Amino acid sequence: MHQDIIYLLPIFFSLFGAVLCVLPVKYVDRVVSVIASVLSLAVAIYLLFQPVYIDHYLYFDGLSKLLILTIALVYLSTVLYSLTYLKHIENLLFQHRLYYILLNIFVATMFFSVSMDNLGLIWVGIEATTVSSALLIATENNQVTIESAWRYVIIVSTGLVISLIAVTFIYGSAGTLSLHALLQHHPDNRVFLIGIMLGIVGFGTKAGIFPMHTWLPDVHGKAPAPVSAIFSAVLLPVALYAIARLIQIFPSETIRLFAFVLGILTVAVAALMMTVQTNYKRMFAYSSMENMGMILIGISLGGYGLLGAVIIIISHGLAKSSVFFLTGDVLSISHTTDMRKVNGLIQRLPRAASALFVAAMAVTGAPPFAIFVGELFIFAALIAQYGWLLALVVILFLAIAFISVNFKTGKMIFTGRENLKRERSRTETWVAIVNLALSFLVILLIPYFETLLKNLL
Amino acid sequence: MNQTFEILGFLLIVLTLVMQWEIHVRRIITLFSVSSFVIALFLVLLGLNRPNEEYMLFILAGLTIVVRGITIPLVMNRALNRLHDKPWRVREAKPLLGVGGSILVSLVLIAIGYFIYQNSLYSILKVRSGSVPFALFLQASLLIITHRHAYIQMIGFLVMENAVVMLSGWVFGGLPFIVEAGVILDLLGLVVVSSLIIRVREHTILKEGDTVESELRG
Repeated sequence: MHQDIIYLLPIFFSLFGAVLCVLPVKYVDRVVSVIASVLSLAVAIYLLFQPVYIDHYLYFDGLSKLLILTIALVYLSTVLYSLTYLKHIENLLFQHRLYYILLNIFVATMFFSVSMDNLGLIWVGIEATTVSSALLIATENNQVTIESAWRYVIIVSTGLVISLIAVTFIYGSAGTLSLHALLQHHPDNRVFLIGIMLGIVGFGTKAGIFPMHTWLPDVHGKAPAPVSAIFSAVLLPVALYAIARLIQIFPSETIRLFAFVLGILTVAVAALMMTVQTNYKRMFAYSSMENMGMILIGISLGGYGLLGAVIIIISHGLAKSSVFFLTGDVLSISHTTDMRKVNGLIQRLPRAASALFVAAMAVTGAPPFAIFVGELFIFAALIAQYGWLLALVVILFLAIAFISVNFKTGKMIFTGRENLKRERSRTETWVAIVNLALSFLVILLIPYFETLLKNLL
Repeated sequence: MNQTFEILGFLLIVLTLVMQWEIHVRRIITLFSVSSFVIALFLVLLGLNRPNEEYMLFILAGLTIVVRGITIPLVMNRALNRLHDKPWRVREAKPLLGVGGSILVSLVLIAIGYFIYQNSLYSILKVRSGSVPFALFLQASLLIITHRHAYIQMIGFLVMENAVVMLSGWVFGGLPFIVEAGVILDLLGLVVVSSLIIRVREHTILKEGDTVESELRG
């Protein structure tokens, strides 16, 4: 067996899962999706222990492996959560079968994007995520979800055209789009520099980086819980993966500073926007944006900043998917996303409410969760390169985000009338709790991540 | 050969300008189809000019005709037919710019594209009239911004993609075939999915009226 086939297995399993979902057998879509996601996760874990693999089409180093693992973990949990959650959606735009087909294709395109050696094919993969995920946003058929799906298509695709121009510039000046060739040798001219910068802006659109972030709160606010979860947890980091590769190729001072400034602006805008949100899903969308900003700062700083960024990617992926799953539970009993109309959750849904409280703490970087440790790494690199003052500015915005999210979430959970009726607890809540626990356990694996990312630090 | 490219570039700009002031969606789709054929002609001429890559560029020109020139307009027209009794009468309800305004703004954008190119990229790229794809890109952006009809916004995005094809071919000699083919496939997928979304969107707007502004603030 060719060695490269092993590296293609996650793409194969998810695509094959999508194809098998078409079979006209009852529940085949659900069973096949669970099997495909379990197999993908098993391969992702196996790949962690395989050597770095690079050929003309594939590029598998520590960063790719960790991204594949995160996607596979969130894939499995999203499928499991969807099994029961879809029953709560009243006005479905399409059958369950199509939902699972699109979900499997969507995951396959993300696996594809983080496995390719060619920057052009990475672009193709990331654009394909837009094609496969647009309809998922509109799973619940109403005018607002349809409109947000449309805005997602047009804003993200337009942003990605900018990164296609970037790919053109890079190819025009370097004569190749191969990651490993560009890492060994790249031109040092203005066309290449402009290409990398345009790439950061273009892929940044998909990652929710300021100023092209406007689609993100609309989509996360209106998509069904499992779709918001997978978007926030892995789609945004997949776009940041492309940016990380661009910076890895051309780590000049100008590029790093450019990405750093965009990262800080993203954190600042997200933190300020969180304070005025009244829709809890939009608030958590801005929280994702804030985390993406921190990851971009970490990537731009490099070294241990990059390690911090990767820790946040994995831990945030698990914790934020947990948060969005739990918001799904809240929405299914309250039928509103307006946080002013939601209260007493601790009495109505004690298990989900407790988990939501802890998960909100985790995504806002409270110790002892791994996001906190990732941020510590980033701050250590930030202070070493730019000094205390800038670090304090970023800490201020993180504090604003922390207070906003936890105060508002706490209010939904702990305030309200006494003797509220306790709702029947939901089995899918356990999926969120498991993800939350895994997000905590990430902290134990940090030394292993460091070994995997040795060539990048 | 450079002069021929300039004429084709100019033709594309004129076609986009006509799209700008045209209000009937079906005619705009036809204009996009014509502009895709112009892009295919551009790729054929580029192939004739580059003997080493001619087959790839000819295949790409064929793909451009099949996907951009025929299939995408066909998909959009069919979606339009399903939604409306008289599809030829579907139009942009409130165009932001009139004919005069759109000509004026388009000319300003062409000048801006030229100015930016001459003062930043020309000294590095040394390609005469390289500002044409940039002007086309800016015009496509204008098409998206000034129209609310989803089909016209989609056409604006597709014109943007055409501008990138022109940029990569004219200024940089094209992208690798596998990437170009991937881009075209993505585009086709995007148009099919968008047509579905637009169909449902228009259907709900016709049924319930347009009421989403307050909930989606970006």
